[in-house]
Amino acid sequence: MNGAVPALRIENLVKRYGDFTAVDGISFVVPEGQFFGLLGPNGAGKTTTINAIVGLAKITGGSIALFGHDVVRDWRAARGTVGLAPQEYNFDRYLNIRDVLIFQAGYYGLRGPAVAKRADLLLERFDLTSKAKLVYTKLSGGMKRRLTLARALIHQPRLVILDEPTAGVDVELRLELWSMLRELNTNGTTIILTTHYLEEAEELCDRIGIIHAGKLVALETTKKLIGEGSLQDIFLELTRR
Amino acid sequence: MIVNSVGFQTLVKREMVRTFSIINQVIWPPVIQTLLYVFIFGLGLGSRIKEVQGVSYAQFLIPGLIMLQLIDQTYSESSSSVFQGRFMNSIQELLIAPLSAIEIVLGYVVAGVVRAIFIALLITALGAVLVHAAPSDWALYLLTIVLVAILFSSLGIIFGLLAEKFDHIAVLTTFFITPLVFVGGVFTSMQLLPPLLQKISLVNPMFYMIDSFRYSYIRTGDVPLAVSLGVVTTLAVAAFVVALRMTAVGFKLRT
Repeated sequence: MNGAVPALRIENLVKRYGDFTAVDGISFVVPEGQFFGLLGPNGAGKTTTINAIVGLAKITGGSIALFGHDVVRDWRAARGTVGLAPQEYNFDRYLNIRDVLIFQAGYYGLRGPAVAKRADLLLERFDLTSKAKLVYTKLSGGMKRRLTLARALIHQPRLVILDEPTAGVDVELRLELWSMLRELNTNGTTIILTTHYLEEAEELCDRIGIIHAGKLVALETTKKLIGEGSLQDIFLELTRR
Repeated sequence: MIVNSVGFQTLVKREMVRTFSIINQVIWPPVIQTLLYVFIFGLGLGSRIKEVQGVSYAQFLIPGLIMLQLIDQTYSESSSSVFQGRFMNSIQELLIAPLSAIEIVLGYVVAGVVRAIFIALLITALGAVLVHAAPSDWALYLLTIVLVAILFSSLGIIFGLLAEKFDHIAVLTTFFITPLVFVGGVFTSMQLLPPLLQKISLVNPMFYMIDSFRYSYIRTGDVPLAVSLGVVTTLAVAAFVVALRMTAVGFKLRT
């Protein structure tokens, strides 16, 4: 937590789809450098909140700022600070995976030898170098998951949002990804993680917010939230109301 | 207007990578179809027609055939690229990046223009070799290609955004573009049509594109060049503005 301006500030965020309110006035702050977990049952509003942060969903009410940049008024500066690793594999099917990284950097206004070098470093870090010339459809599920993370990091964002980063991966890869995420966070990157694996949030996150039916029903450090019990007990208690 | 020029150029490059990775769908079909039209209609049946607007029928045919292919390929490519991006969610790579609506729309449109020029040059070379038809006004040749490519790339974006399934993209091609191009002067001069059909041709926008483009070859047209270019420019600007507006409001892009 080394910055006066928080990595993320959400104030009274509302998102409606017609008559349905997906996010209902949530507010929270994620300080820079924190590993923050956003939990909630299916349909609680986690992905909608993430989509509002990165610009994929239009905000109905309230405001979101990334490192002090409002995501609506100052969207260009805001978007440059964040990298998204979505749950689904939405890679460009016409590019090999090295180019997936290089083109993604290009969309962020970056190019040249430094970008190529960073792409190669990320491929190496995520053990994908031998697959660099393949299109993503030729990769295994675990490799695709690692590529998602590599793509989110190519433009060196200060905040990385991970939507279910370990969904559908085996235990070995999950532990490997945990180690990578810890390393990333230790190096100063703020991380926001959504996950259905409560032990993952318990293991990785400094602080946790729980969303239920579009409302923030808990916001506490992981230690305080768990207290004497378990995160699972707390989660079930808060989301069964 | 363009702040993230690297992002814009990256999108153009991406579209070109896509084009050349599906070259058998995008580049070769127009070339082969043109060859077939030239042999069957131009050199075969056309040998029985003496002259049209002062040139052989095969030479008359070439500019119309170039327009026919350009219009079809430019629309098909930009609409399928946008729709596929939506369908596969890969367009989110652009939407979360610091790219403005104008940078995204221009990226698709400029790629469409480059693709159109490439296809046009290939067919032009065929026309020069096979029937000795070559443009006499290269500036008008390029201007018409650019305007038509802007128009149909923009329409491609619009229908790529409107479509809910691939089938919807084909609606414009099947029911409007192909019929209107075929009756818009590809195969015959308006002067050879009966008076009623001549009047109907004047409300067909494709007629003005083909007439303007043919002017760059034979320096004569069915209507004054300023009228043709005026119609094509107006349509291109209108389609571009609509595509830009739809992208700016995030129509079917941002929830």
